[in-house]
Amino acid sequence: MKEKAFVIGQSVRRLDAVGKVIGEALYPGDIDMEDQLWMKIRMSDRVHARVTAIDTRQAEAYPGVVAVLTATDVPVNEYGLIMPDQPVLCGPGSSKAGADIVRCISDQVALVIAESEETAAVAADLIEITYEDLPAVVDVMQAIADGAPQLHAHAKNNVLNHYRIRHGDINAGWEQAEVIVEGEYHTGYQEHVYLQPEAGLGYIDDEKRVTVVVAGQHAHEDREQVAHALGLPEEQVRIVYPAIGGAFGGREDMSIQIALALAAWKLQRPVKVVWSREESIIGHHKRHPFTIRARWGATREGKLVAAEAEVYADAGAYAYTSTKVTGNAHLMVNGPYEIPNVKVDTYGVYTNNIPCGAFRGFGGPQGAFAAEGQMNKLADALGMDPVQIRALNVLEEGSITSVGTPLPPGVTLSKVLAEGAAQSDYWHKTGAGWARISPTEQPTTPAKRRGIGMAMGFKNIGFSFGAPEENWATVEIHGDAKIERVVVREAGADVGQGAHTVFAQMVADGVGVPLDKVEVIGHDTAETDNSGSSSASRMTFMAGNAIKTAAEQALEKWRSEQRPAVATYRYVPPKTTPYDPETGRANPNFAYGYMAQFVEVEVDIETGHIDVVRVVSAHDVGRAINPQQIEGQIEGAVVQALGYAIMENLVVKDGRIQNPFLSTYLIPTIWDIPRETKSVILEYADPRGPWGARGMAEMPFIPLAPAIVAALHDATGIWFDHIPLTPESVVSRLREHNIGVI
Amino acid sequence: MPMPAALDRENPSVLVMPGPGLPAFDYVRASKPDEVCDLLLQHGDNARLLMGGTDILVLMRDGVLAPKILIDVKHLPGMTTISFDPAGGLRLGAAVSMNTMTAHPAVKQHYPLLAEAAQAVASYQLRTRATMGGNLCNASPAADTAPAALVLNARCVTWGPDGERIIPVGAFFRGPKQNVLMPGEFLAFIDVPIPPPGWVGRYIKLGRNAGGDLAIVGVAVLGYPDANAASGCRFRIALASVAPTPIRVPEAEAILANMPITGETLERAAPAAQAAARPIDDLRGSARYRKAMTRNLTRRALDDVWAGLRKEG
Repeated sequence: MKEKAFVIGQSVRRLDAVGKVIGEALYPGDIDMEDQLWMKIRMSDRVHARVTAIDTRQAEAYPGVVAVLTATDVPVNEYGLIMPDQPVLCGPGSSKAGADIVRCISDQVALVIAESEETAAVAADLIEITYEDLPAVVDVMQAIADGAPQLHAHAKNNVLNHYRIRHGDINAGWEQAEVIVEGEYHTGYQEHVYLQPEAGLGYIDDEKRVTVVVAGQHAHEDREQVAHALGLPEEQVRIVYPAIGGAFGGREDMSIQIALALAAWKLQRPVKVVWSREESIIGHHKRHPFTIRARWGATREGKLVAAEAEVYADAGAYAYTSTKVTGNAHLMVNGPYEIPNVKVDTYGVYTNNIPCGAFRGFGGPQGAFAAEGQMNKLADALGMDPVQIRALNVLEEGSITSVGTPLPPGVTLSKVLAEGAAQSDYWHKTGAGWARISPTEQPTTPAKRRGIGMAMGFKNIGFSFGAPEENWATVEIHGDAKIERVVVREAGADVGQGAHTVFAQMVADGVGVPLDKVEVIGHDTAETDNSGSSSASRMTFMAGNAIKTAAEQALEKWRSEQRPAVATYRYVPPKTTPYDPETGRANPNFAYGYMAQFVEVEVDIETGHIDVVRVVSAHDVGRAINPQQIEGQIEGAVVQALGYAIMENLVVKDGRIQNPFLSTYLIPTIWDIPRETKSVILEYADPRGPWGARGMAEMPFIPLAPAIVAALHDATGIWFDHIPLTPESVVSRLREHNIGVI
Repeated sequence: MPMPAALDRENPSVLVMPGPGLPAFDYVRASKPDEVCDLLLQHGDNARLLMGGTDILVLMRDGVLAPKILIDVKHLPGMTTISFDPAGGLRLGAAVSMNTMTAHPAVKQHYPLLAEAAQAVASYQLRTRATMGGNLCNASPAADTAPAALVLNARCVTWGPDGERIIPVGAFFRGPKQNVLMPGEFLAFIDVPIPPPGWVGRYIKLGRNAGGDLAIVGVAVLGYPDANAASGCRFRIALASVAPTPIRVPEAEAILANMPITGETLERAAPAAQAAARPIDDLRGSARYRKAMTRNLTRRALDDVWAGLRKEG
C-alpha cells in the first residue's frame, strides 16, 4: 500500500545544498579533461560592419595555437532560439548569405583554440579583421523611421514584430472616461549577473556524440541549436548540465555552446572555455529597455473604461526571444484588469545594440511598470485608495481580458490583493472599502521622506501564444518485495532554484516513499526526454504534471508485479493560441500566477538615495511544494527587482557597453536590500496544477518597481516614470519640482 | 610572450578582454628597508610593492600593469605594527590592514574618525587585506582614508635611498594616481599627531549604493574649540572624489573660523566647499551632481560635528 510520505508542503533540505556549500558540486568551469585545449572567442570590434577579410596567419603561427576557426568552418552558419537570424561566426565565405556582417559588439568572429588559456587569449588579439563600416542605428525611434539603416532583410524598418489589440470600441471608451491619466514610461537594461559566468567543455563522447558540458536552461533546445549549426542529426549531439550557477533567462540563448561543439567536432579533442565576468556581461543578452506611452481612462467611480498604449522594445541586433518577450508585455501592459475598450500596439525593434532576450519576468516587469503606474496615477487623480481601485477592476473568474478571452480557471487576483493588503499591516478594509490604516509616519530628519505604495500583477506559467509545450518524465520503481529505490528521469534544469529537490518531493509523494529512496537523473540529453526550459515559472507545474502521472502509472505497474516498474509520461497542457494579427484576440496562456506587493521606502531628498525599508510580497502559489524554496524565490526576486528599479544602470553608448564590470555596474549588496521582506504565501489550487501548484518564480519580480514608484510618490508627491531610479536621476527629478533643491 | 591588451575600466569604449589570471612575476619578501630601495632603483617601473594587493592584483589581472617583480614589504620591521604614544600620537605601519586598524583600541579611542573613514572603504572582506598605506600611495582622488588623514594632519614617513623623509599628507598627492615618492622611495609609516583637545570628527561618503561603491563624494570634517578663533572653534574640511587629488578646503574653513557658528554660518561654508570642488563626469556621477552633493554632504558633516562639539562643550 501507498504510505503517506508527507513530503509535499515540507521545507525539506535541498538535495544539492551540502555539495554546494562544501565545494563538492562541480560547475562547468570546474571540469577538466586530459588532453583538453582552450578556446578564446574573438568578438566583433564594430557595431555594424561587413567583415571583408580575416587574417588568421599570425594567430595560427603563434606557438601553441592548434586552430583558428572562422565563418567558413561553420556547416550551417546561423542560429537563434525563435528564428535563426544570427551567424554563429561572422565573416566572409559563409554558408549563409549575410553572415559576413557584424551587427553588434557581441557577434562572434573567430575561435582560437590553443594548448593553454593564455596562448588562446594572446593569439585571439593577433587575428586581423578588416571591416567595411556600415551605418549603425542604436535608437529604437530612429530605427523605425524611414531611411534608417536596415539590419535584416526580413524586418522592414527594423520592425521585428508588431502586435495589435483592438478590443471593444476605444473611441466609445474615451467618451465614457471621466478621468484620464497618461505617462511615458522608460525602463532600462538589466544584466543577469548570475554567479557563474559562462564556461564549458566540448568533447566527443564514447558513442561519438559531440558533447557539450555547459550550464543552460533547456538541454534539448541547446541540442537542437548545436545540431542545426553543425549540420548533424540531433542524436549525434549531447548536452550535459553539471551544477548550474544561476540563469534567470540569461542562459536561454546560445553563448558558448555552438562554439564549443564546433571546436570539439573539428579537432576531435576536448576544448574548454571560461568567460571572464566582462566577457559574460558583453557576451550574452540583456533585459529589454522599453518605452511605453500609455493613456488610461476611468469613470468617476474608478471603473476602467479605456486603455491605450504604444509599446517599443529595443531587441538589439538579433531576435533572441524578443517576439515572446514583447508578446508578454503586450498583454501585461493592460494590467490584470477588466477593461472593456483597449487599443495597444507593441513593437520589437532591431537596433545595433546588444541583443535583448529572456530575463525573469520576460516582458512582464516592463508591462507592469506602465500598467501599475497608470493605475496608481488614476487612484491619485480620483482621490481613491490604490487597493480599492484595484479591487474594483481586477479580473475575476470568467472576466474577459484585453485579448477577448477569459483567464484559465482559478483566478484569484482579488483574494491575493485582499489578503496581501490585510497582511501588509498598511491597509485595512473599512465599510467604505480599502483604506490606509494611518498616514505614513515621517522621519524627524528633514532630508528623509518616507512613503508607502503598492502594485500587483499576473504572469503566465509556461510557454505562450501557441508555442509547442510538453514535459516528459520517467519514473522507475526498483526493488523486489519492497520498493528499494525510485528513479525519476526528468531533464528539467535545476538552475539553482531547487527544481531537482521539488522533483524528488513529488516523486516521493506520488509513489509513497521517503525522500531518501528517490534518485533524480536529469541534465543529460542522453538520459532524459525533453522537459522544455526552466523558464516562464513553468518547471514545477510542467514537470510536476508529468511526474505525477508517471508516478501513478509506475505504481500501477508495481502493483501488477512488474519489476522494475517503469512508466514514461508526456504532459501536454491545454493549447494556447497566438495573437490575431488585427485584433490581438487569443488564448495566450494556459496558467497564471497572481501577486501583489506593498512597500515602504525612505528617500533622501538631498542625495536621491532610496532605502527600500520593507516589502510585503503576496503570492498565490496554488500549493507550496517546498515553502522554504518559495520564500527563497520571493526574497531573491525582490532583491533582483530592487536592483532593477533603483540601482542597475547598464550604460550603452553607440552600441557599446560602458560598464561591463561589477565595479561600475552595481547590483544590490547586503546593505541595500530591504530590512524586512515578508512573504505571504497563499494556496488556492490551480485546477490544472500538480497538487494544485502554480509557478511563482518570476512573480515577485514584476510589481516591485511600480510599487517603489508609488511609495516615492507617497513620500514626495512626484511621479517617477523612468527606471532605474539612480540617486542622481532622483535628485534631478526632484529638482524639477523644487524638492530638496539647494 | 606578449601581453594581452590592457583593459581600461574607466573608459572601455574599445573593450579588449584581458588574458586569464595574472601575468608571471617574481615575488620577493623583503626583510630590510634598504633591500626594498635597491630593488626599486634596480627595476624601476618593473618593480612594485605588495601590501594588501587589492589594487595591484586587479590592475595586473586587467593587463594595466605587468611588473616583473612584486616586493612584499609586510615583513619589514614595523610595517604591520600600530603604536600609540599619548604625547606623540599614532604610528601606523603602512601595511597595517584596515580591519586591524579599525579594531585597534588606540584607534577606536583616540582616532574614531580614522576608523570611520576606513570602514567606508569597499567591503569587510576587502578591508581584511587593504591597507591605509596602499590607499594613500594609490593616490586615487576617491581614496576614503585620505580626507580623514588630511584633516588629522597626518604625515607620511617614507624610506628611500637618502634615508627617512617626512611628508605631510597634504603634500603627498601629485595628481590622479600620482604621489610624490621618488625613485627607490616607499611609504613606511603614517604618523597621526594627537588632535586638538575636544575635537570631533566625521566622514561621510556618498556612493551609488549603500556598500562597496567608490565614493562619488567623500567629506571629512574635524572641529575643535579654539579660543584664538573669532568663532571659538576651528574646522578642518577635506574632500574626496571631487578634484584630481583629495583636497582640503581652506576657503570654507576660513568662513567658519571668522564668524560665530550659527546655522547660517554652516550654511555659508558648504557652498565654499562646493566652489572648491572641481569634479569630472564619469560613470558614477556627473560633475554637476558631485558639486551639489559636495555642498549637501559638507553641510551634513558640519552639522554633525557642530552638534558633537556642543555636546562636548
